[in-house]
Amino acid sequence: MRRLSRQRIVTVCAVLLAAWLLAALLSLNLGSVAIPPGKAFRLAARLFTGDTGQEPALETILFSVRLPRVLLASLVGAALALAGAVFQSLLRNPLADPFVLGVSTGASMGTILYIVLAASVGIQATGSLSLYARPAAAFAGAALTVAVVYFIAGRSDGRGEGSQRLLLAGIVMASFISSINVFLLTSTSQADLRGIFYWLIGDLSRPVDASIYVITLLVAVGAFLLYLMSQSLNLISSGEEDALTLGVEVSRVKLRVYLFASLVTGSVVSISGPIAYVGLICPHLARMVLGSDNRILFPAVFIFGAIFTLLADTAARTVVAPAELPVGVITALCGAPLFIYLLRRKGGGW
Amino acid sequence: MVNSGSIALEARTVDFAYRGPLIRGFSLQMCPNEVVGIIGPNGCGKTTLLKLLDGILCPSSGQVLLDGRQPLALLSRKEIARRIAMVPQNGGLPGHQTVFHFALQGRSPHLSLLGFESARDEEITREALRLTHLEGYADALVSEISGGEKQRLLLARALTQQPEILLLDEFTANLDVNYQVGLVSTVVRITRERRLATLVVSHEINILAAFCDRIILMSEGTVQHTGSPCEVLTAANLRQVFGIGFSVRQGINQAPEVMPLIQGN
Repeated sequence: MRRLSRQRIVTVCAVLLAAWLLAALLSLNLGSVAIPPGKAFRLAARLFTGDTGQEPALETILFSVRLPRVLLASLVGAALALAGAVFQSLLRNPLADPFVLGVSTGASMGTILYIVLAASVGIQATGSLSLYARPAAAFAGAALTVAVVYFIAGRSDGRGEGSQRLLLAGIVMASFISSINVFLLTSTSQADLRGIFYWLIGDLSRPVDASIYVITLLVAVGAFLLYLMSQSLNLISSGEEDALTLGVEVSRVKLRVYLFASLVTGSVVSISGPIAYVGLICPHLARMVLGSDNRILFPAVFIFGAIFTLLADTAARTVVAPAELPVGVITALCGAPLFIYLLRRKGGGW
Repeated sequence: MVNSGSIALEARTVDFAYRGPLIRGFSLQMCPNEVVGIIGPNGCGKTTLLKLLDGILCPSSGQVLLDGRQPLALLSRKEIARRIAMVPQNGGLPGHQTVFHFALQGRSPHLSLLGFESARDEEITREALRLTHLEGYADALVSEISGGEKQRLLLARALTQQPEILLLDEFTANLDVNYQVGLVSTVVRITRERRLATLVVSHEINILAAFCDRIILMSEGTVQHTGSPCEVLTAANLRQVFGIGFSVRQGINQAPEVMPLIQGN
């Protein structure tokens, strides 16, 4: 029996970070022009020596196209996978994740509403107000959806049945909001429809603007706050009454977890759209290797989600090149069979 | 009554209402090194009472005081969990954990926000498993052990909290009588060894009569009788609370033995 220690967490995270680095180098290399790691490092080194401009085309591809995309895919994947692990632990249900619970879809509705409204009152979608307002709208959409799902499910007594009702309510809300999203998009005249419809199944191909800094900050803060509650969530996974007797302020923790998980999800969905299966598959795979202690699972799944989504996005932009698939298609294509395998695995537990 | 004079936990004229009154004017002083048993018919408010004493529910009026002076309502859950441990009714325990890790959860109230269990925490946990005769099952999954072992595991987790006050809710339910006796005598032994203030709620009148220092007979949310088992467990008192006749005789160790009078046709 291995004791959980800070050292073990650091080791696991270091291994995962190394894997992420490999995935990132692979992703930087793949595309219309190959940029092998050695080349990438030389180009990066020139940034520091101020010796840029020798190969402008390559530099543009590397630093303005592929690198931002790698970082974006990683950020989105990390946030969604963490939110999935958090919701699974909170609801004691292995099927919970931000997509299934309708949180992602709610966040996308917030984003679409903002874009439609902003366009109608003449706010520039790339203006500085949008940097904050778009993630804020997504967060509001996510938090509102959680509140409605909670309301529909009725007062949960913290037992299994309550969390089943919550999941069903989430699934219903997700499909309902999806329809609203399509309705909004079709009835508005300004939007670039093809791009936006891609975005509805999760897409990372749209150019990254400065809002990425705001979103990175929100995800970092949200992830840290969620990590602080990892041990409380361990105990809540054993039952809410037990958690109370073991010293957890259950209702306060639950409220905060919902808020922070909505924040983390909403922030990334405002850019990526709702990507399915990342929040479902990544925590399962991590739990199979590391066990279900959230204190190691949360940081591990954060990095693992980044790797998974980065690889999925790399596939999305290379397999049908020069065309591109939305990343959500790839995550669903590998996520669904993987999930069925996990469900049917004997003695899997969670 | 084995009384050291100090008070570990005190309820002062506690009322609790939820869609009507559930507990009325309940007062109790729990002292170290003492086992108190609560007996009463279903629905008389025993579980509610335990939740009030653990601060999970707040009294509508009256107070629950730690050390006879600190109101529980002013303490955080974590502060309470370091002093008071509750052994819940055996519900569905999560099966994916090992017995050891489940018991280790009891150390949680003693951990800092970003803390991890130390070697000492593990030592405390192993000691609790030893006291409850579960040391051989440390690596087994919770789903693999029997009902009686699960009850002992819940007790072990409570002991891992190193509490001063131990509250046990129907923890002998659904167990064979030999397990009931074994479990209650373990609780009494630990109460003496660690000078705990222990409160046991059970349907097993005879087991409580044999092991408790003090018995509280409850019905309809109020204390009807309190005192030593011999004083409280009389045929008249039991008839008043349960509404059927009982025969009571002196058993071994002078503990009363109670038999309900069952009338055929």
